[in-house]
Amino acid sequence: MSLTEAEPSRAAAPPAGRRGAGRSRLARRRRRAGIFLSLPAVAVVIALLGVPIAQAIYYSMTTWNGLTATWIGPSAYTGALHDPIFWRVLENNGLLLLAIPFAIGIPLGVAALLNEHVRGWRFFRSVYFLPTAVSWVVIGMVALQFFALDGLMNKMLADIGLGSFQADMLAGQRSALVALAITFIWSMLGTNTIIFLTGMATLDPTLIEAARVDGLARRQIFFRVTLPLLKRFVQFSFVITMISAFSALFSLIFVMTGGGPGLGTTTLEFFVYQSGFAQGQFGTGALYGIVLFVIMIVVGLVQLRLIRSEDGEGW
Amino acid sequence: MASAPATPLAPADLRRPRGRARKRLLNGWVFLLMAAVAVVMLYPFYFLLDNAFRTQAQFDQHSGHSLAGWTQLFHDLPVGSELLNSMIVCAASIAIILLVSTTAGFAFAKLRYRGSGMVFLLVVAALMVPLQSIIIPEYVNLAKYSLINSYFGAVLVYVALGTPFATFLMATYYRGISDELIEAAVMDGLGYERTFLQIALPLSLPAIATVTVLQFIQIWDDLLVGLLFLQPGQRTITVGLAALSAGRTTSIPALMAGSFISAVPAIVVYLIFQRHLIRGLTLGMGK
Repeated sequence: MSLTEAEPSRAAAPPAGRRGAGRSRLARRRRRAGIFLSLPAVAVVIALLGVPIAQAIYYSMTTWNGLTATWIGPSAYTGALHDPIFWRVLENNGLLLLAIPFAIGIPLGVAALLNEHVRGWRFFRSVYFLPTAVSWVVIGMVALQFFALDGLMNKMLADIGLGSFQADMLAGQRSALVALAITFIWSMLGTNTIIFLTGMATLDPTLIEAARVDGLARRQIFFRVTLPLLKRFVQFSFVITMISAFSALFSLIFVMTGGGPGLGTTTLEFFVYQSGFAQGQFGTGALYGIVLFVIMIVVGLVQLRLIRSEDGEGW
Repeated sequence: MASAPATPLAPADLRRPRGRARKRLLNGWVFLLMAAVAVVMLYPFYFLLDNAFRTQAQFDQHSGHSLAGWTQLFHDLPVGSELLNSMIVCAASIAIILLVSTTAGFAFAKLRYRGSGMVFLLVVAALMVPLQSIIIPEYVNLAKYSLINSYFGAVLVYVALGTPFATFLMATYYRGISDELIEAAVMDGLGYERTFLQIALPLSLPAIATVTVLQFIQIWDDLLVGLLFLQPGQRTITVGLAALSAGRTTSIPALMAGSFISAVPAIVVYLIFQRHLIRGLTLGMGK
């Protein structure tokens, strides 16, 4: 390959004097090339993400129905704090957080199983990860049928003699949110399992072996040795899961419940769409979007801090 | 199992075969559990396919099969043209994302200039911006330049959403290429731009594949951007399907058939490029 041939030519470097002058010219060209090559990405980020977020902050302090905009300033936010709808929507986001321990805990167990490397584990890994490739729209379509009154869930309940628990989950405000959360947990399984498997692959097998020699039971090894060593990965999966729960469920909600019944499954992200595009209240929509943004930043910063404090450096 | 030797054995040796038997039993349980989880993960796909081949009446009675779901689907949804729309939007978006992320990734990794670290941080920090937070201004802006009447508006939004992570991924990859290699190529008179094109770019094909697969699945599966930024004639299959389910009541088998068709391309890509997808995910761990 030409690359390996290029290597020795550096050893035969030009004489020192010329080299110094060449260096500075090179450095200048290098800088120019660096700026030139990074410009498109920077332009995309500024024009299509940076400017809009600034605009969104501005919009959030106006009442704007698409035709007339009136400036109301920061009091728009205090206004929202007195709006019961705001708290109802935020409550849904809060309740979704309750799904996170399951969305992390179950994959942790599954990853531990896969990590035994029993025959066929690669196949199972592929199967578990499959929903990652499938759109929330499709997942929502099937979930809709699963939770329907005459759907599989109720049929199974009847089959195991729990017919009295049969319910039309999507008809109740809280139960619809639970149905949404279950679907969410199901589809996060693959992603989080992969994260933990990657983590487990980085573990030093002699540590586990040492624990075994010390007479620790499997379960003890998992909780006292493996899990503490996986902390980083648990944190990472927490952030991914949290971001997904708050900003990736639009399609699922759109297909499964449309935000209802009532405001039962309207989360912040869905309310942005509802108020902005269904009701034409651009100002309100932008405000909810900014609240969501602030939550994301807080999560991101906490994560960054956690990583930094442990490794002594982030990137 | 091997029969126990007749000669007297030390206790440790006695334990070993029993340990192996226990290990086997345990592995059996592990296998069973994994198979059970697999059923839970695969059942929805079986359900999809099974019920696509039904009439609404057959669906209600959970018995019998027919092609009615498919004929209904093709009647209700311009499947062919929407698949084509998906392809166009994906291809255009991914092409632009690759263009800006490989160049910037290379610059941030190998052509550092004063402040490039900060600029890189800015680009990566944009990862934190949720689509919903910017979607209203984005819509207003792109409408102002009448970009929402073509594919281009949606493509731009996908590019914006994909660029930060793609750039991060490419920069991480280029950092792994030795500085000496780049320097040597430049010393040989290639110049930085051509060093990028002729040396770094070919070396980064695995990372390019990762970005492509990640973005393909993300864009193919997206609803929100397509719903707002594409006109009905340009709708992608995922958007068309969601609109169908929300709009006129169609038969559920037709929706199942549509779900199946829309899911297949992404699943095929997943099955072929699984490795790249997993790498993309784990690279995000910042290691």
